[in-house]
Amino acid sequence: MNSGAGIYFDGVTSTRRDVVVELAPDGLQISGHDGRSWGQWPYDEIEELTAPDSILRLGRRGSATLERLEIRDPAFAAAIDVRAAYVDRTGGTRRRERMRVIAWSVGATVSLLLVAWFGVPAIAARVTPLLPVALELKLGDAVNMQVRGMLDTRNAGAAFECGIAAVEIPGRAALDKLVRRLEAAAALSLPLRTNVVRRDEANALALPGGQVYVFRGLIARADNADEVAGVIAHEIGHVAHRDGTKAVLEGGGLSFLFGMLLGDFVGGGAVVFAARSVLQSSYTREAETAADAYGTDLINKAGGDARGLASMLDKIGGATEPGAKILMDHPETKARVAAISKAATVVSPLPFLNASEWAALKNICAGS
Amino acid sequence: MTSLDAGGIATGGGARFLGQRRFYWRLLIRGAALLMFTLGIYRFWLVTDVRRFLWSNTEIAGEALEYTGTALELLLGFLVAIALLIPIYTGFFLAALDMGLFGKLSGIIAFAALGVLGQYAIYRARRYRLTRTIYRGLRFHQEGSAWGFAFRAMLWWIITVLSFGLAYPFQLASLERYKMRNTFYGDLGGRFEGSGIALLLRGFPMWVLLLAPLVLAVRGFFGVDWTALADAVAQGGDDVMSKIEGGNPGLGAAIVFAMLMAGATIALAALLYPAFQAMILRWWASGLRFGGIEVRSVLRTRQVYGAYARFVGYAMVFSIAMGAIGAFVLGVMGTAVSIGRVDTADQIATILALLIGYVVTALGFSTIYRATVLLSLWQLGMESLQLSGLSALETVKARGRPSSALGEGLADALNVGGY
Repeated sequence: MNSGAGIYFDGVTSTRRDVVVELAPDGLQISGHDGRSWGQWPYDEIEELTAPDSILRLGRRGSATLERLEIRDPAFAAAIDVRAAYVDRTGGTRRRERMRVIAWSVGATVSLLLVAWFGVPAIAARVTPLLPVALELKLGDAVNMQVRGMLDTRNAGAAFECGIAAVEIPGRAALDKLVRRLEAAAALSLPLRTNVVRRDEANALALPGGQVYVFRGLIARADNADEVAGVIAHEIGHVAHRDGTKAVLEGGGLSFLFGMLLGDFVGGGAVVFAARSVLQSSYTREAETAADAYGTDLINKAGGDARGLASMLDKIGGATEPGAKILMDHPETKARVAAISKAATVVSPLPFLNASEWAALKNICAGS
Repeated sequence: MTSLDAGGIATGGGARFLGQRRFYWRLLIRGAALLMFTLGIYRFWLVTDVRRFLWSNTEIAGEALEYTGTALELLLGFLVAIALLIPIYTGFFLAALDMGLFGKLSGIIAFAALGVLGQYAIYRARRYRLTRTIYRGLRFHQEGSAWGFAFRAMLWWIITVLSFGLAYPFQLASLERYKMRNTFYGDLGGRFEGSGIALLLRGFPMWVLLLAPLVLAVRGFFGVDWTALADAVAQGGDDVMSKIEGGNPGLGAAIVFAMLMAGATIALAALLYPAFQAMILRWWASGLRFGGIEVRSVLRTRQVYGAYARFVGYAMVFSIAMGAIGAFVLGVMGTAVSIGRVDTADQIATILALLIGYVVTALGFSTIYRATVLLSLWQLGMESLQLSGLSALETVKARGRPSSALGEGLADALNVGGY
């Protein structure tokens, strides 16, 4: 078979032309039925273009116009396939190309996951100490606004912070006394703001910029002031290590990596969120251990009894109240308790509050 | 109107779809699996494959379309878009840290700015797709200002929302007129002749049906004493709910009634959506013009319902299968938990299992939706076309240049994509 029928578009006008295509030794010879030549396409300049299965559609590589030649006879199409290097009706070329794409995409994915797992925390850990305190305070304000929005459930119209109503003032004074002693020992680069807030979980958290929230549920579960002091010392550890700022940077980096770069292929927001909590739970474990060590050390420095932190952890480590993330963020409680007890070195510790002050602190949320 | 010659090629005024569903399913399922393993990077290749399939299997007046876009162009467009968006996002992030007026308003400003940018992206993406569409050896192209379109579109959205949707037909008509009068096949200019008022008249019964329950629900609240309610909320206290109920005996009933009516609206909307889509598609296609070429659509609403019925069928089978697999996995994990060793590794494994389950489910539904509803809409939309004045096709001259894929990249990054 040396020639066959084709349909030709010259790429300049939309006119459809029935042509005769001849398989010349060095290319396709395209000519009209009236004998007019429409060009000669060398075999190594022919490319195959997408078309319905029954049609072989050809173009010319590097051509300035979009001239097209269509062959509808399968046998003739096969004959062209044999001669033209860049025409492959079996799809083998395309499959090989596809495999390359898949291999590189999987490679990129693995690389991104490695960056998320090792790179993002490493970058956050190195960038955080470089941030000026002023910026950390600003960041803290922004985070504080969001966190308050989430935590403050406006129970019964009372203020979020305890220690404001008249009956609560002595409690506030006791808290201040306790925090002052710790803060003096800690010598932080930014002022601490500690508040007891109306949340019933036994928990506490430190935000970037020195804001510490102690939940009233924790005060209720505590048996003495040393336990509260231990938890606050632990949170001061987070402030001193700037863990909150680190977490914000890590969270931002991860949402950026997974959310923006990879695109939202199926409402990926939820995926990003879940991936973030998986990744971040592994960061926090180390941070918690470090904060424990710092807190124990701080209590020792302040001449207090650091076993308070251990006994408090022991108590709330198995907490199962809904909403308490203790299990998630504070794993391996037993190991931590043992480590803290071992590091509590003060022989005759000075209690943080006397009996009446402790009673006042217990009542810091009595206003409602 | 359509006459078929011996070779089965439509030479008259019709369009045909030649693609095989089986092949499309395979393409989509393979694509979904690769999307998962590449965390979505594969989407540029999947989108290109899908377009190649749809375009090249669509035959208009005996000649199949051709899509010449490549995945690498899309990837590049996306990277450029990211490079443009990062400074913008960073700016808004820093502004949000600022406690001043601008900081407080930054959320609203960001929302509006990204809205305009999204419309800009939609217009630019359409330009990319058109300039990669080849028919009879000539390129389509699109002129006009993307910013002009974006501001027009935002303005129309505001009007539509303020008019409770009544302005929507006019919005569609106006934006479509803008798009089509800037659309060219070679040197053959397009235009749009669909009228907003015609669409409004056809869609009005639907609008009434959907809004009536909501109006009734709002009327239920007319009897409520709002000052007493506000006082009760402001006072607070543990018994705030009983106080509210005491001051307004009818409030509880009104809330229940409102919820029922909202449910009715949602159910009606779901039931009417295929009819709505068919109506819009028919109206839109019938308004398309290219020079002397006129288009008319004879799409049947029944056919669109058929496509959705197939979707529901496949989705149900898929849900049952996923439910069975999920129950099995949870069962295995439950055993591990009851043995009592719950450590961090187990928790991470559980979260990962849930994550994978979520991704597989979401990808599964989106694949089924593309293979049933979207493919059917494309096929039905094309096959219901009746074209006249096709002699104009014989003398069109080449014009227009390929445009960059920036719009596609922006649309991707902002999640406002199309086909």
